[in-house]
Amino acid sequence: MKKLLQKIAKKSPWLYRINAGSCNGCDVELATTACIPRYDVERLGCKYCGSPKHADIVLITGPLTARVKEKVLRLYDEIPDPKVTVAIGVCPISGGVFRDSYAITGPIDKFIPVDVNVPGCPPRPQAIIDGIVEAIKIWETRL
Amino acid sequence: MSSFLKIAIRNLLKGPSTDPYPFGETFVPKGLRGKIKYNAKACVACRMCEHVCAGGAIQIREVADKSGLEFILWHNTCAFCGLCEHYCPTKAIRLTEDYHTAHKQEDKYRYVEKGFIKYVNCAQCGTPMVPIASELLNVAYDQVNKDIEKLRHLCPKCRQERALR
Ligand code: SF4
Ligand code: SF4
Ligand code: SF4
Repeated sequence: MKKLLQKIAKKSPWLYRINAGSCNGCDVELATTACIPRYDVERLGCKYCGSPKHADIVLITGPLTARVKEKVLRLYDEIPDPKVTVAIGVCPISGGVFRDSYAITGPIDKFIPVDVNVPGCPPRPQAIIDGIVEAIKIWETRL
Repeated sequence: MSSFLKIAIRNLLKGPSTDPYPFGETFVPKGLRGKIKYNAKACVACRMCEHVCAGGAIQIREVADKSGLEFILWHNTCAFCGLCEHYCPTKAIRLTEDYHTAHKQEDKYRYVEKGFIKYVNCAQCGTPMVPIASELLNVAYDQVNKDIEKLRHLCPKCRQERALR
């Protein structure tokens, strides 16, 4: 039974989005992959979900500002293991243009183990899809 | 109701509007600003790109054995703003239409664009110097004549001497 569930689950990871203080640019591109039929990520078998408890693949945007840091880490802890983390945009990866600002505590991998990076400011929807494809491959090995 | 039906039927006949990517080809809008490409041959090491870079992505440093300059651009902090291309006098740095940036975490710090400018020696005194790219001469002069071509192989000091003679 467990084997069967694993086999099914592999085909349908659920995506969850965390905004760690982003300027909204990357979030708009993420919304594009979710809401516009042109870039429909659900073709890959995944689906955006509204609760961290359901998530398998976490997409993080933003440089982890000091203000949201604790909330983001708490939220991240609520996501059950195994999970795959994807950093979207240069902000979570390096701080991007906000690097060295007193207002940010990132890069995100100081606090959260990241698996895939998708730089760009913001990355194109197709680049985000590339990242999700990569994340699904990692997800399959973790189940 | 009938107008709704009309739209539904029209959409059915039109076929899917989803971009086939990643299973098929996709489109690239003209002038898309993507990953940066650097051409060390055209670079004159003016460091303007390093100075204007919004993301602090560019570093130009002398290598340990002092044989030349190393250019490193870290894609993971580049904002695709295009300032480097705009200010580069010789267009040695350019934004390409390549937007495929996804990579694994273990490659995070290896995801760079690199180049090396080897010093040449001054034809007169032998001092090592950054070679003067023909791209720069084309920007500076209408026509590159023999005299200019000679001056090109001299270090600034010898060039000054030659010019004042
Ligand atoms: S990477 Fe650029 S677009 Fe994305 S959140 Fe940061 S500043 Fe905004
Ligand atoms: S595009 Fe902008 S951020 Fe990227 S290297 Fe050039 S100046 Fe720096
Ligand atoms: S790439 Fe262009 S702007 Fe940068 S140092 Fe070379 S010539 Fe100057």
